[in-house]
Amino acid sequence: MGIIEYAVDFYSLLVKSYPIFIQATALTLRLTVAALGIGILIGLVFAMMKISKNRFFNAIADGYITVIRGTPLIVQIFWIYYGLAPIINVPAFWAASLALAVHNGAYIAEIFRGGIQSINRGQMEAARSVGMTYGLAMRRIVLPQAFKRCIPPLGNQFIIGLKDSSLAAFVTMPELFMTAMRRAANQPGNALEYYTIAGLYYLALVVVFAFLVKKLERRLDVD
Amino acid sequence: MFKRKLPIMLFVLVVGMAFIVTGCGGADTSPEPPAKATFSYAMSGAYPPFSYFDDNDNLLGFDVEIGTALAEKMGLEADPVPTPWQALPLGLNAGRYDAIIGSMTITEARLEKFDFSDPYYRSGPKLFVRADSNIKGVDDLTAESTIAVLMESVYEELAREYTDKLKFYDNDVLALRELAAGRADAVITDQIVGLTNAKELGLDIVSVGDLLMVEEIGIAIRKGETDLLNAVNQALADIKADGTYLAISEKYVGADISGD
Repeated sequence: MGIIEYAVDFYSLLVKSYPIFIQATALTLRLTVAALGIGILIGLVFAMMKISKNRFFNAIADGYITVIRGTPLIVQIFWIYYGLAPIINVPAFWAASLALAVHNGAYIAEIFRGGIQSINRGQMEAARSVGMTYGLAMRRIVLPQAFKRCIPPLGNQFIIGLKDSSLAAFVTMPELFMTAMRRAANQPGNALEYYTIAGLYYLALVVVFAFLVKKLERRLDVD
Repeated sequence: MFKRKLPIMLFVLVVGMAFIVTGCGGADTSPEPPAKATFSYAMSGAYPPFSYFDDNDNLLGFDVEIGTALAEKMGLEADPVPTPWQALPLGLNAGRYDAIIGSMTITEARLEKFDFSDPYYRSGPKLFVRADSNIKGVDDLTAESTIAVLMESVYEELAREYTDKLKFYDNDVLALRELAAGRADAVITDQIVGLTNAKELGLDIVSVGDLLMVEEIGIAIRKGETDLLNAVNQALADIKADGTYLAISEKYVGADISGD
């Protein structure tokens, strides 16, 4: 088969599979948004605990980051979906999202901590010396600057989170990767094409997202 | 300007996320309280012609329709749950579904973990090799032969009788392709699955020798759920008696595979 014919065949497969893959993309996005939304909150809380002067909070944050960063995401997903099932029956969507959130939360916590600690100590001291409370100084002075510095690594982490959502396939979520696996099992002759198509959808999502992050970075730099 | 807006931005972001998340939750959680009691059963969805997804993502296949027919006889709503093969026992024990109708062979090891219904079909594994292979049967296998098999399947144990060089795959289609590509010397798989897929894929492979064993394929149910087990067995006898079984069997496999 010539390359032109192959390209035509591939294109027709891409178009024919479009409705199913778009549906799957929507699920991938919902998983990612849920996971990263919760992940940011988790990250923020644990970053605060990690930089706090309270030893107890430090220990909790350290433990969390050590355990979560030290175990594979797929193990965490199975732990919540199959392991916890006899105790609490978490629906597949939430098992996957929560595992992703908890997992990304650990990395996001480290990103936030790095950002906050990169802000010169003098800023906090100056803010305190003009009478601001610790919380107010954190909110008004340190966090806004830290957040700006966090954007590039956060964008990076979001891209990782988006791609990691493919592991939800193993707890029955018909997202992009699962869709490709099902198509490939049904039409094994086109397995290569279907995995390529799934890859293209992820690539498109990442490219769009990376573009948005870049725009945001540029806007904040101007300020 | 940025500094003053940031907390607001953050707030909007967080609240927005919360809305999206809860919004999704409402739409996504599978409808828990069904009007009619359900009979939920799992299969891999990657095992044509027993369970597979068509071009429009509809779940079809012999196992799926047998489940639907059984549910109907029991007066329940059928709820097929496609689940990856390796996770099928996990999900059953975890209560994710009532039964596995997933072409699972009844074995001693599995009987320790679950109860099985009466066999709902019978088949058996055969040895598949490339058409030009000099392996003409299991007697030609040596310790050097590489056999590709589905992981956690009965074929794995069977293959170990001939060689230690096993390669594992999580569906038979992959194993058959590896064989055709020359990365394995033989595949042991169900004769129906092997033949249908080889034809579908246009692979230059053939089956050699006799059935390596007769397998009885049953419906797995959690231990102790005797009422459900009895109901399933009764429903199975009913669909065999009224011709529903035969129609499904002919539709997907082109033959009566009950083995009765």
